[in-house]
Amino acid sequence: MRLVRDLGRRKLRSTLTITGIMIGIMALVVFGSMANKIDALVKGGSTYYKDKVVVSAKGGYMGLGGVLSTKMADQVAALGGVDVVVPGVELLLSDDQSGVSMGTPPMINGSVAGADKGRETFQLNYATGRALTAQDEGRNVVVLGSDLARQFNARVGETVTLRGVKFNVVGILEPTLTAPDNSAMVPMAAAQQLFIKTLPALVADKLDAGEIATSLVVYPKPGADTQKIAVEINASISGVTPMTGADFDQEIGAATSMLNAILIGIGLISLLVGGLSVINTMAMSVAERTREIGIKRAIGASRWRIRREIVIESALIGLIGGLLGLGLGFVITTLGNDAGRDSATILFDLTLGTAFSSVAFATILGATAGFIPAWHASRMDPVTALRYE
Amino acid sequence: MAILEGRNLCKTYRLSRRNTVEALKGVEISIDQGEMVAIMGPSGSGKSTLMHILGLLHAPDPNHGPAPELRLAGEDVAALSDNARTKIRARRMGFVFQDFNLVPTLTALENVQLACDYAGIKGKQARQAGLEALSLVGLEDRAGHKPAELSGGEQQRVAIARALVNKPEIILADEPTGNLDSDRSAEVLALLREFNREHGQTIVLVTHDAEVGEACDRVIRMRDGRIRDHGQPATAAAVPVMATAAGAMAVAATA
Repeated sequence: MRLVRDLGRRKLRSTLTITGIMIGIMALVVFGSMANKIDALVKGGSTYYKDKVVVSAKGGYMGLGGVLSTKMADQVAALGGVDVVVPGVELLLSDDQSGVSMGTPPMINGSVAGADKGRETFQLNYATGRALTAQDEGRNVVVLGSDLARQFNARVGETVTLRGVKFNVVGILEPTLTAPDNSAMVPMAAAQQLFIKTLPALVADKLDAGEIATSLVVYPKPGADTQKIAVEINASISGVTPMTGADFDQEIGAATSMLNAILIGIGLISLLVGGLSVINTMAMSVAERTREIGIKRAIGASRWRIRREIVIESALIGLIGGLLGLGLGFVITTLGNDAGRDSATILFDLTLGTAFSSVAFATILGATAGFIPAWHASRMDPVTALRYE
Repeated sequence: MAILEGRNLCKTYRLSRRNTVEALKGVEISIDQGEMVAIMGPSGSGKSTLMHILGLLHAPDPNHGPAPELRLAGEDVAALSDNARTKIRARRMGFVFQDFNLVPTLTALENVQLACDYAGIKGKQARQAGLEALSLVGLEDRAGHKPAELSGGEQQRVAIARALVNKPEIILADEPTGNLDSDRSAEVLALLREFNREHGQTIVLVTHDAEVGEACDRVIRMRDGRIRDHGQPATAAAVPVMATAAGAMAVAATA
């Protein structure tokens, strides 16, 4: 377009200005994608915890940590408002946590399939294979989350080794964008066996593997208040920490909101700097074209037209910078995800919404930045402008 | 018939708090359709200011005394808004300046089409009109060249084409030959005269160049913000002007 030629007048200057916007948009896209990923993780967790209470050993967190007993499940089940209690065993897939982990580290999750008696509302969809069943108890079979499956490069029917024990893959989950992607689901007995091996011999000897649990998932009766149940659990059983949906939202939600804000904040600040550079560039451009503006006004260009020209040009700078920034951001997020794939870490979720709004934002920023120089240009007296040295 | 008439035209510029310049001190002027008129005078005589007012680039001062009158083809244009004046300039007038006439990033044709754009002529029609205008000045084969690829004389001819393309009622030229050597000047002058003689185009020129003045139907001489001599149609010119002291000074000053 003709106006692109105007940008070509001062190629270095235009390039530098566009680069400024590009960097800002790239930051926004990359950090925005990170924030998207975090949001998906948290949303998944929030939805999961909303309608239940999860009990862990005191000092433990979300099932990781100390040991509970399956017998406690009966105690809890006896409390008012409690419908079903499902004991489970959770342990880390691997003890060395090297590399970046966004959200949950890879875990082994064990429970008796079907013990929730249909109370669990969190949907798990299977890409291939099948879900675990109660009949699988006693066997070493596993359903892998999508990220773990990719990390192991495993397919249904193949064998994977979890903590030194071979498991047969019977199912692989669809991506959920949250915790299940990074988990290996095994039957309760198998998990208990794996767990007891992690304990020091002195402790392990005193425990009955079949009674080990690290968490109790408590499903409330319809209409029961999870908060009340949590309080009752605290009162009646010692050494445990119950967590409700509200607790989760409070703790995790607050932290991730802060993280989101920081990430987006960084992106916006870089963009602000980019925007200021556009204002500067357009102001210089207008000053250099003073005579030309004078001539255009003299031969009949209205003030509005002059303004329009300048604003469109600066919007173009924004648009080009935005598209380039999006492209660069796309490359970075794709490379980042590829690099993290081996450690089952997907860091970025570049949604269509993020992409579109980034470019739109860049364009609008460009146009807005051009507005002040445009106004100034349109107010020039044609005669004075014509004579400008 | 008078295409442009003005009376009681005054213009004072305020350069700073204490520095004002009375550029025009009450000018009466009448330009007939089909005339080619030169306005000449020493620096500070107000000739450029007069042209800016005639070209509706500036409005005449409202005056404490008699109100200014300015008519274009009989219409009152003395007290129009900036937007209204801009519209008239776009549709009914053409301008040629001394230098830097053209937009450097546009081709010759695009420069000419700029005037079409502002005049509300679009698309195919604009392209057609642009090419016609360029061929009138003999540059149709340079339509795709940018100003940097054209000589000074050619650039000026493109500017003339641009001034013509919207078929204006009047063309105003401010020192159109000022930056050209004598050969190119003669070329440009000949072109303007052709449009005047053969197409009846009304042209008003501001110039320092006596030769340009001689090529015109009459020369209006200004001094100190006033018109000293409205000039006579070609035949009666030289002797009466030289006979008066003011005339002699005016001629000497422009030499």
